[in-house]
Amino acid sequence: MIRRQDVRDRLRLNTELATEVLSTFIADAVETTASNGVVLGLSGGVDSALAAALAVRAIGAERVHAFVLPYHSSSPDSAADAASVARDLSLTLRSIDISPMVDAYFDSHDKEADQVRRGNKMARERMSILFDQAKKLGLLVLGTSNKTEILLGYSTIFGDNASSINPLGDLYKQQVWQLAAHLALPQQVIDKDPSADLWPGQTDEGELGFTYEIADEVLYLMFDRGLSPSEVAARGYPEKIVERIGALEERNRFKRRLMLIARLSGSAINLDREIPRD
Amino acid sequence: MPLSFYCLPGLRWSTPLNIGIAQTDVRLGALEDNLEKHLEWVKKALDRGVDLLVFPELSLTGYRLLHLTGRVAVRPAGSALLKPLLEASRKLALIVGLVEEDGHGTLYNSSLLLSDGRIAHCHRKLYLPTYGIFQEGRFFGAGRTLSVAPWHDNVLGLLICEDLWHPHLARSLAMAGAKVVIVSSASPGRIGPGATPESQEVWETLIRSTAIVNTCWVVYANRVGWEEGSFYTGGSLVARPGGDVHCRAPFVQEYLLTADIDLREVDRLRWRLPLVRSQRSDIEGAP
Repeated sequence: MIRRQDVRDRLRLNTELATEVLSTFIADAVETTASNGVVLGLSGGVDSALAAALAVRAIGAERVHAFVLPYHSSSPDSAADAASVARDLSLTLRSIDISPMVDAYFDSHDKEADQVRRGNKMARERMSILFDQAKKLGLLVLGTSNKTEILLGYSTIFGDNASSINPLGDLYKQQVWQLAAHLALPQQVIDKDPSADLWPGQTDEGELGFTYEIADEVLYLMFDRGLSPSEVAARGYPEKIVERIGALEERNRFKRRLMLIARLSGSAINLDREIPRD
Repeated sequence: MPLSFYCLPGLRWSTPLNIGIAQTDVRLGALEDNLEKHLEWVKKALDRGVDLLVFPELSLTGYRLLHLTGRVAVRPAGSALLKPLLEASRKLALIVGLVEEDGHGTLYNSSLLLSDGRIAHCHRKLYLPTYGIFQEGRFFGAGRTLSVAPWHDNVLGLLICEDLWHPHLARSLAMAGAKVVIVSSASPGRIGPGATPESQEVWETLIRSTAIVNTCWVVYANRVGWEEGSFYTGGSLVARPGGDVHCRAPFVQEYLLTADIDLREVDRLRWRLPLVRSQRSDIEGAP
């Protein structure tokens, strides 16, 4: 029987091996698609910093195009941390202020929009810019969503969860931290409270109502190991939190399976014709 | 009595077989690109004096084909794709992997042994993994026969990946005279806390135990590269009769691993450890 302390051990990664393998993932995708490199948004957080560091290892800094995409309410610390990551990795960092684009929509059409909708719009505006830059320069958009937030649905569909390739999507948050430490990313980026920074004072753990440590372990037991919520709770996790994590995972599955096509023909895309990409 | 009487035809006792493992990446569905790569690696292997060059499972097509499977299928007899490889096989023997079409509506995951300009042997994968991320049973038919390759004194047995997880197959080959079991593979990797991919630890246990209980050489040719977000480990290796690892390739990167294999080592071990000849088929049935 897997015990709670075993879960922590199971979430430990051999960081050297994982780094090597994930670097080949990026290099392989760039080569296979004959792209010129990758583009990503640096938020100042640990996920995008790690994705950038892996990309630099894979294809060299000159082929990694980094953007910081602040909104006027974004914390200045975010941009400063993004700059520090870029400096560490010898990346050229370009800044595009998304405030005019986001505000133009809400000011003209929906002044009453709540902060969640505004946050979603910001996330999509950023991804829209990254895909445009990718088109302009012949690049792949590097995703930076980790497994914890993908499973919890703590992301904006077609926003931060959109990408061409995602090297972090099978890493729980604490595994992201492990790799970030291994790659000696700036300490303040590793140590700070994770935040989508979509409104002032927002933190992931505050909004979710539980810590990443708990979320990772509960998700590992449910998703990776197939335990039921009651079996998870029996291992010493608070029942209410387990239920909430289970409900979030279930409710947000739609964000993980894009393009739901109504099948009529018997040769529907994806369902009847699974044509893989290399 | 002339000395040649004591020598096996084709292979002299004292001459080791120089086996090469082409631990390559494969482009999914890109037959021409993959053929070109095969020919490049044949050149490299010739420079290294390789007698038999082993490519991974589905080396000409890529592994995770799904609905592309039928589009890359080949009928080996008279195939234009195989022609340059058959030509190359006059210089060294080759084991390549492809989707084989039998002309009766079935596709197979097959390994071909090419030698002296002809197809010397074909092994159709017997166990098709259809669980987890594997979907072979949806697209392939399972092979129905197992035999040693009729090549150089019938000392070679071919298996493909999952076949090795069913230990009676390697046993059956050993009983039929195989001294070398060749396993072409497309085995995806998983990473945990250890310095070795977790999937590799299982494979190495299987390979070494196969070599131990069948007192034979085991040659494991695994591919590298990515397909649809899943990576192949590499880590190809050769295990000696008795189970020691003779040599191994690194993880993740392309690599040409070569090994001199002394077939007499099998005989010498079997004289003192008669596990194969003491098989109680009368009790257990034929393996």
